[in-house]
Amino acid sequence: MSKTLLIIEDNEQNFYMMRFLLENKGFKVVGAENGRLGVELALEHVPDAILLDIQLPEMDGYAVAAELKKHAKLDKVPIIAVTSYAMVGDREQILAAGANGYIEKPINPDTFVEEIAQFVARD
Amino acid sequence: MNRHCKVLHLLVATILFCCVLYPAAAARKVRVGTYQNPPKVFTTEDGQPAGIFIDVINYVAEQEKWELEFVDGSWMDGLNRLENGEIELMPDVAYTADRARHFSFHTSPVISSWFQVYSRQGSGIKSLLDLDGKKVVVLEGSVQQASFEAMAQSFHLKITLVGVPDYQTVFQKVADKEADAAVTNQFFGNMNARKYGLEDTAIIFSPSSLHFATALGQNLYLLKKIDEHLQALKQDTKSLYYQSLKRWTSENVRFQIPQELRIIGMVVLGFLFLSLAGSLLLKQQVNTRTMELQQSYAELEQRVLDRTIELAVAMERAEAADKIKSAFLASMSHELRTPLNSIIGFTGILLQGLAGPLNSEQSKQLGMVQKSARHLLSLINDVLDISKIEAGQLELSLSAFDLRPSLEKVVMLLTPLAKEKCLELQLKIAENVGVVTSDQRRLEQIIINVVNNAVKFAEKGSVRLSCRIEDGNCLIEVADTGIGMKAESLETIFEPFRQIDSGLARKHEGTGLGLSICRKLLAMMHGSIRVESELGHGSTFYISFPVNKGVDNV
Repeated sequence: MSKTLLIIEDNEQNFYMMRFLLENKGFKVVGAENGRLGVELALEHVPDAILLDIQLPEMDGYAVAAELKKHAKLDKVPIIAVTSYAMVGDREQILAAGANGYIEKPINPDTFVEEIAQFVARD
Repeated sequence: MNRHCKVLHLLVATILFCCVLYPAAAARKVRVGTYQNPPKVFTTEDGQPAGIFIDVINYVAEQEKWELEFVDGSWMDGLNRLENGEIELMPDVAYTADRARHFSFHTSPVISSWFQVYSRQGSGIKSLLDLDGKKVVVLEGSVQQASFEAMAQSFHLKITLVGVPDYQTVFQKVADKEADAAVTNQFFGNMNARKYGLEDTAIIFSPSSLHFATALGQNLYLLKKIDEHLQALKQDTKSLYYQSLKRWTSENVRFQIPQELRIIGMVVLGFLFLSLAGSLLLKQQVNTRTMELQQSYAELEQRVLDRTIELAVAMERAEAADKIKSAFLASMSHELRTPLNSIIGFTGILLQGLAGPLNSEQSKQLGMVQKSARHLLSLINDVLDISKIEAGQLELSLSAFDLRPSLEKVVMLLTPLAKEKCLELQLKIAENVGVVTSDQRRLEQIIINVVNNAVKFAEKGSVRLSCRIEDGNCLIEVADTGIGMKAESLETIFEPFRQIDSGLARKHEGTGLGLSICRKLLAMMHGSIRVESELGHGSTFYISFPVNKGVDNV
């Protein structure tokens, strides 16, 4: 009964690093390197949680979050913004766009998996 | 001759009439103010009062058997004395509506005058507009001061008026180049301008009639007598009045008094001519000025328009630059954090042994990579913070929260570091500490920074964090038993990139921006931070901020 996570992230190293940490703790990871593909894979897999970067090609994180919220079958899927945006209002803006959580990059490798697990366990 | 007799009769009758009505007037003492305004009134070199007004009053006094006492002083002294009853009469007072509220005047003026502007020869000052931005000397408290000021204002000229107590000083200041131009009456000016190397300009204003004055409603009979005598004197072209005028106005009055009627005609003609010439001159000047004004208004309008456009462009550029800066900050932050995320992430994975076991040297070196990466991250964060504060983009997020858990959190966070160094980290919170309104995250950042510094710089002993509320201010003290600082370092440590004592810098790594940020953040919170320290005896940082200031500002 391993949980599936969708990581929408365009930076290859960042994606690899997060996938490694999460798979190491028994999560199944699906990756998308741009926003549009992220939405498609979300609808296809209906993961247990979506990790969403903000600065993405094709469709940025705000647009992805807004699009995902339109689909009833994704209603219960938590969206966690994992982003390096650190300006005033970034957090508020992405939460307003539909994200359920916000983790600032760089992530803390000692606590990252635990933070994600909290969101997944919520249902 | 017939007319002459009539005048004489009238005079005698008047005198008799007065003697009957005012028998006491025979011994009346009349104090008359004098000041220096030759040739109207002044003091001669041997100390005698002289001038047109003095001649007239001497004549009246002689006729009326008044005993005159002259009291010399400045113009303002004279007016003040008159109002205070220290003198009965003041000569040479121009009639104005304002002055009529303080003084009484006789009806027929002694003389008429106008004011004129004088400047140094060759100064180029020709019209009123030439006086823009210039310094002009006037007699203090005089009517010309007020009317010149009003005239300058009506032309929107910026003229600095300097008031001085007497006319000699008025001219002297211009002669000494302490001022650009002088205002005097035409009597004084014509008589004295050349002596001071000055010349008259075409700026003429405020014709005035000059009288003797008494304090308001006082000594009215003196005025009545003066009026009577003056009227008589003016009737007779051979009278002392005309002799006096001739004597004192060397340039203006050159009548040789051959036949009285002709003289009267000439005087009338003279006055007519003068007023005609004056009005023509004024008209011409007004025309010139109007043209000059219209021109300068047009120029001004164009300049205002140009400036407005320039300003709008500059504003747009500044706003654009501001937006570029914000965008730059945001993207720099993003671009640096993304690779740093990988570095910190992978280092963590390797150190946790998730990718396989490490030998001790590998662990040690990866630990160093991790430390460097974290240092780099704090640098990025601090630089971003400073930039945001300086660009005015950092907004405090105010909320009411209990300060106790925040302080406890700081201590909990830093206790492991303190334990590593065998330091005691103490926390003392006064009972009155409770809910404050501030930016919780930023406030915790400040306290962490200061306590972290204290732990870093203390080699042994303790770090004490205490907090209390006093007069609506929250006071937080962080005292350590560390290395302390020299007096000259106490202020510089709050400047960016100023770590003290370079010998220790390697040992106590930091961004060098922390305290600078703390001070800027506290300033935004209307608070402050300062330090007291002695080298070798530890330091104490004092943080203070209003408990509820945030509420007022929201």
